[in-house]
Amino acid sequence: MSSATLSSPVSGGVGLRRALVRNRGALIAAIVLAILLFIVDWVSAGPLTYFDVSFLSSGGATSALAAIGQTIVILSGGFDLSAGAVISLVNVVLASSMDPMAPGASIMLWTAVGIGVGMAVGAFNGFFIAVLRMQPIVVTLSTMFILQGVTLLVMDKPGGFVSPDLGTFYLGDAITGWLPMPLVVIGMVLLAWFWLKGTRFGTALYAVGSDADSAAAVGINVVLVRFAVYVIAGGCYGLAGVFISAQTGSGDPLVGNPLLLSMFAAVVVGGTRLGGGQGGPVGTVFGAYILMIVVNILLVLNVSAYYSTIAEGTILVLAALAGSISHASVLAVQLRAARARLAAWRAGILPSQLERVDRRLKIARPLQDQRSQASPRPAFHLRNAETLRYALPAYVCLIIIVVVTQIWLGRTILNPGYWNSLLVLSTFLAVLALGQGTVILTGGLDLSVPWTIGISGIVLAGMVNGSDVALVYALPTVLLIACAIGFANGFGIVYLGISPIVMTLATNGILQGCALLYSQGTPAGFSSPMLRWFMTARLGLVTPVVLLMVVFVVAAVLLLGRTPFGRRVYGIGNGLRAARLSGIGVERTLILVYMLSAVCAALVGIMLTGFSGQASLGMGDDYLLPSIAVVVVGGALITGGRGHYLGMLGGVLLLTALQMLLAGTTLPYATRAILYGLVVLGAVMALRERRLQ
Amino acid sequence: MGIGLKVRRLTLLAGMAACAFGLSAAQAAEKHKIFLSMSYIGNDWQAEAANMVKAMAAHKSLADKVDLQVQVAGPNAQRQIQQINAMVQSGAEAIVVYPISPTALNQVVKNACDKGVKVFAYDAEITEPCAYNVHIDQLEAGRVTAEWLAKKLNGKGNIIAITGVPGTSVDDQRTKAAKEVFAKYPDIKIVGEAVGMWSQAVARTELSKILATRNWDDINGLWMQVGCFTANSMQLEAGKKTSELLPCAGEGSNGGRIQMLPEGTEVEGAASPYAPLGAQRISYASPPYSGALALKLAVEAIEGKDVPKTTILPLPVVTSETIKLCDEGTWAEMKAGCNAFKPSLVSNPGWFASIFSDQTPEIGLAAALVGQPEE
Repeated sequence: MSSATLSSPVSGGVGLRRALVRNRGALIAAIVLAILLFIVDWVSAGPLTYFDVSFLSSGGATSALAAIGQTIVILSGGFDLSAGAVISLVNVVLASSMDPMAPGASIMLWTAVGIGVGMAVGAFNGFFIAVLRMQPIVVTLSTMFILQGVTLLVMDKPGGFVSPDLGTFYLGDAITGWLPMPLVVIGMVLLAWFWLKGTRFGTALYAVGSDADSAAAVGINVVLVRFAVYVIAGGCYGLAGVFISAQTGSGDPLVGNPLLLSMFAAVVVGGTRLGGGQGGPVGTVFGAYILMIVVNILLVLNVSAYYSTIAEGTILVLAALAGSISHASVLAVQLRAARARLAAWRAGILPSQLERVDRRLKIARPLQDQRSQASPRPAFHLRNAETLRYALPAYVCLIIIVVVTQIWLGRTILNPGYWNSLLVLSTFLAVLALGQGTVILTGGLDLSVPWTIGISGIVLAGMVNGSDVALVYALPTVLLIACAIGFANGFGIVYLGISPIVMTLATNGILQGCALLYSQGTPAGFSSPMLRWFMTARLGLVTPVVLLMVVFVVAAVLLLGRTPFGRRVYGIGNGLRAARLSGIGVERTLILVYMLSAVCAALVGIMLTGFSGQASLGMGDDYLLPSIAVVVVGGALITGGRGHYLGMLGGVLLLTALQMLLAGTTLPYATRAILYGLVVLGAVMALRERRLQ
Repeated sequence: MGIGLKVRRLTLLAGMAACAFGLSAAQAAEKHKIFLSMSYIGNDWQAEAANMVKAMAAHKSLADKVDLQVQVAGPNAQRQIQQINAMVQSGAEAIVVYPISPTALNQVVKNACDKGVKVFAYDAEITEPCAYNVHIDQLEAGRVTAEWLAKKLNGKGNIIAITGVPGTSVDDQRTKAAKEVFAKYPDIKIVGEAVGMWSQAVARTELSKILATRNWDDINGLWMQVGCFTANSMQLEAGKKTSELLPCAGEGSNGGRIQMLPEGTEVEGAASPYAPLGAQRISYASPPYSGALALKLAVEAIEGKDVPKTTILPLPVVTSETIKLCDEGTWAEMKAGCNAFKPSLVSNPGWFASIFSDQTPEIGLAAALVGQPEE
């Protein structure tokens, strides 16, 4: 928004208008929330009473508080996947350490404990991200795994006790009959934010989020700002954990994890731009409540269970669209461009209608030859120094893991079965890594992977139903469906201007609903013998799918490294505007990228169906975070533009080998989760960003 | 609020929410308003349980008594809290709930009870004392299956354990009870343990990981919460004969049940590995009919009958000795003792076959598959 304000000519003396423009995201979120509240009031039996407002306010408070923290991280240009895990940890810490026999509990003390735990985790994140300059997404993903393990060590099943005093305080009324406490808590956090925003630190925060290099250039201590951001955000998650503890009166080690994805949706619906620099927590609070109130709307409208995820996805898209209505929105720009193109076509002055003459500058050929004669082509490791620096660490760690497996479990390095299993199990992620990796290279993210996998597997199993002949038409059908899914994603992102996270999250929900409707809840059919043979049989020492994987890897490397499409992808990732100005068809390329991602997910769905022999609902759920993790562990930059497919492949092999090592041991799950997180963190140590100049 | 406004609202509703709500709103006067709050709907068990609840509500004995509305909370306990609150607000008489967490809902459930709403939890438990619970004894499930396996192995051998979703009390109880049994046999060693998330697909990847550094020949038995069907397929792929399949204590999926039938049994629609193999098995499950039974009990409770706070369902255990194929899968037929369904009727081998209960003559195979009650 700041850039929009600067570039649009603001006529004099309209401070109010400027303020409106600057806070447009939050304002629109507030209006959408008001409309939704009105709808709830309209369709439910009685008028909205204070009681309704009070319970709505407590329902959305946990996600609102956590999302405020997430917003601050995102404003600074970061990303925090550990938020949900912090909430669970705080919940079990409180529930396991409060004494049910003690007469009263000190609200201040336990709130401080919760916020303290959150801040400690934030400091851990901040240390690796700010001081060691590692990518936020991997650091916080590792932290998430570590915390999930620690949480299970603290409490391995639901239970424990949280004093009812906490509940009475946090869920009660600040002013009886007028003001519910949750709103006061959120209000106080927001006030603290406004104070912070006014300080030098607040300015520095936005500056770092907009452009870290420029911020450093004007003398801002970027390291300190980043570190502080994660600590503050951790405090917010901690407070959210305290709140949910108060609300539930007990501990559950899994309570916070599902809050993660909706938190991002709340941030984006509230008008904060992913990537940093724009927006703020006020809009986020409205965003969180919009997502929460959808539950009530679905209830009063009695939307069937199968349609509920579809309805949610649609509401998410509509809210995001509403948030972007303006003269400068992507949709409006695209419409204007389309109109201009139409007019140009009518007038016959479109470039394609003109007589085309080659107007390129004539650069003398010999020049190139001379240069190549003068200085010989540099050696391979010099030409690819950048790629090697980011791709090699994964392979080095892979070798270490394999050696450890040999020492710990034996029967590894010389056992062809081990290598075959490693490759077969890696195939799924290797295929996903191309799709997700390409999306990430353009600076996006595809969250619709899980149910694209799911619906592909279900449709395939249903059509094939054990017959090899049916594969002939079932495979193209499934891939076509995937193309359509990818096209829808790309279309929404490119032409409607919806942020990739929101668009693909919505698509994921819609696909889930479609899969349920299609299968009526019980997916029918099973894989055909040929597909099963392909995924599980042995040709000598290897499974047939391994051969396909080799071909796939070669094709993927060529696609990204040697084709115009690949160059356009890197171009877009390095700078959208520069890419557009240098004549790249950004729209077409981006749509193709999302189609590629969907087709890769569909391939995984097909392969998983062959591997398991059947398709099941939710079969893709375990592949979302790993698909992002392998791309980043493989050296790609989450903000786009940098990464090599071979690096991502290294990431896939590393994580799979690590899981195989852990599965071979009899360590408890909690310990495995912690080890997994630590190894991932260690593996990416080498990927640290270079020190800012 | 004037009558005109009310009418306008109803008209609007009919348009917005399709006809269902408008109709039910008109008839709701005589009917009991009951809500179902499901968890994550994206897995086979949940969907099957939902089908059975809907079939129960549609059965002629309940159809004109019950106005059932089904809502999904997803995996998010926070959402379920709000959902239950909203259900209480909109005048529920009873709420049937698959609790995402046994403890997180306590306060909201207590609040609902205080307003006179009957809350029935199925499959998993709500620890709040005012809630009604309908579930199996998970400790018994772990113990019975572990004892069966120990006996099969004559108290000696290496086993692999595949557990459920870590951090849930169901998984905790089953696994703890089973490990207590195994601890009594010093010669039984758990050589590999992995988290199976109650999914055949996950069981397959986890077993593949474990077997990458091991051999099927080093293993003597399997204890799995879900995954025996997959484990048997994997052994066949690895070149084992059907007579060499390892004893497996595990889930009640129809695929696993069909594999338990003696090899060579004529079964319509069977194709390997979804075929009779004579596998040595004990098959158990959390039965998906528990939601339907909870609904039935909820209606009884509303009508003033005395319903116990806790209904422990009999553990549905089927062994290789008691396995019997159903012809059509009607309730009457299951009552006579059949417990596996033809692949031609149930094409998904992961489908849960423990659908019979003495207490629910209203629902049979058609209920679980498509939500159709018995005649």
